[in-house]
Amino acid sequence: MLKFIELVLKNLGRNRVRTILTALAVLVLTTIYSVVDSTTAFIGQLVSNAADTRLVIREKWIVPSQMPNRYARMIGDVPGVEDWTVWHNYIGYLDQSKRMDRRGLGIATRIDNLREMHPGLETLDPELIEEMKQEKTGALVGSGVMKAMDWRIGQRFTLISMTQAGANLEFKIVGVLPPGGRWSQNFFFREDYFQEGTGDKGRMNMMWIRVRDPAVGQQVATQIEKMFEKSDAEVLVETESAGVARLADRTQSIVAIINIVVSILLIDMLVILSNSISITTRERRREMAVFKVLGFQPGFIMAMVIGEAMLVGSIGGGLGALLAYILSSITLPFKLPMLLQLSVTASAIPIGLLIGAAVGFIGSIIPAWNARTVKVTDVFAKIA
Amino acid sequence: MSSALDSTSTPPLVRIEGVHKDYTRGSETIHVLRGVNLDIDEGEFLGLIGPSGSGKSTLLNLIAGLDRPTRGRVIIGDHVISDLSEAEIARWRSNHLGFVFQFYHLIPVLTAYENVELPLLLFDMPSARRRQQVMTTLELVGLTHRLRHRPGELSGGEQQRVGIARALVTDPTLIVADEPTGDLDGHTSEEILDLLQTLQEGLRKTIILVTHDPRAASRTRRLVRLEKGILADSTEHTLSEAFPGWKGR
Repeated sequence: MLKFIELVLKNLGRNRVRTILTALAVLVLTTIYSVVDSTTAFIGQLVSNAADTRLVIREKWIVPSQMPNRYARMIGDVPGVEDWTVWHNYIGYLDQSKRMDRRGLGIATRIDNLREMHPGLETLDPELIEEMKQEKTGALVGSGVMKAMDWRIGQRFTLISMTQAGANLEFKIVGVLPPGGRWSQNFFFREDYFQEGTGDKGRMNMMWIRVRDPAVGQQVATQIEKMFEKSDAEVLVETESAGVARLADRTQSIVAIINIVVSILLIDMLVILSNSISITTRERRREMAVFKVLGFQPGFIMAMVIGEAMLVGSIGGGLGALLAYILSSITLPFKLPMLLQLSVTASAIPIGLLIGAAVGFIGSIIPAWNARTVKVTDVFAKIA
Repeated sequence: MSSALDSTSTPPLVRIEGVHKDYTRGSETIHVLRGVNLDIDEGEFLGLIGPSGSGKSTLLNLIAGLDRPTRGRVIIGDHVISDLSEAEIARWRSNHLGFVFQFYHLIPVLTAYENVELPLLLFDMPSARRRQQVMTTLELVGLTHRLRHRPGELSGGEQQRVGIARALVTDPTLIVADEPTGDLDGHTSEEILDLLQTLQEGLRKTIILVTHDPRAASRTRRLVRLEKGILADSTEHTLSEAFPGWKGR
């Protein structure tokens, strides 16, 4: 086996430029693939997490939504509402650099039911909730922000507010939100701290309620909408899944294009690898014939060609995914907000490696079969 | 060149029985071999000569199991080569056959040592023993000083020595050599022929040598001539019959 690997490596080393260029092509394509894939995965996760038992309430006519804070108690008392929370959006720069790629979204909310009301936070350590209750300036920060800003737990930061001019709040990082997921680029903090710090006690942006089942949800939604009909701030109530479906509808064409791009990237990788391996195999037909004359089985010759392609593919794929991971982890000195928002996780590296190997395998089947079926007498007849 | 070996009671190592080989090119059928019968004894050094297109290489390919006869049988030792499957032939070749090519056909990315070692990788053999066998064979062909050189760094004669070592390293029953001096200058050809002759005499290997070269033919102990796909009336020739006008070395 070691000798086989040695032979594969030596074969790849015979035309280093071609091997490096092929691996580079796979690397670049896998890098793009990893970033693009994280976009579709993010949207997919939003859709799959959306439920019919969670309802979102927003102001009907104003964007961004703003409603009176007093609505919260009124809505919370509606029969059928099992739990509720509010959102105050607090957007600003995460440091003094005021760089566009260092903007963050803080969400001021109720801390007591943070885990229950936010899908994806169910696994959050309850002790962190207790700590948040003790520390008024506490913040629970998304893993993507922590990584991008190179922050540590216990550290303090000040958000330079873009939404509440002049009200720049200082926070102490109490903990990190569960890695990955939709909260990776956000942070949560206490509603009372927001109200005190900004002086904005009368309004909220959104409200979330939880009901027992979807049928109850429909009744509750109708009732709440009626409660505020013809008021200064009419509200729109819809299930989370309906909201996501609306978002998905809007982004459907973009997602479709992304999916096509992903497919084209994979096909591109296949074509590049297959072409490179085909050229190599054609150039080495004589050697394949010699292997056969020496007594090597056709299967060995096929395995050798496939092995070369899989090795190049997996190296290119693994390094490509690693590059995407590194790029999404570092903060670049120029505007690259996409990578700050969509973090490529470390799990992309083995996936990239596997994709590269799979592409190598599929792309080399035909050239490997051609190598396997090389007719020795034809090869040597042409030479003679 | 000596005359043919005296017939013995032991069966021949190679028996070719009524072998035909046809190729189809478009609507035309080309009869390359037309009923060849030939016995080759163990330890024999046989020269196979004939003009271009007479079917020498085709016959050699059939003996080496690289092609199948249209009709007839090729029997080597206990094996009917022409009846074996592709996998069985590959296995048989690795155990019983050494092939020396005109253009050496060494693997360019491997060193001389690795090229010779290559056929041994098919055997379940401890690496120490493999190394010993490779070194012994390279010593036989006088190339122990060029172990780590790749084919591109070797002269034509040295490359052919590596090719011969590769053919010998598995200690095969039969060695076939297709114009082994065809790509070499006169002096180097003589060296290679000396080597082949020494190995044949010293190791008592059965060698079938296809050649156009009277000097190469003169080293063999029996000479058979193919013409238009059939063995000439007498299957054994003297050198002067085979190469009229040749004055010797």
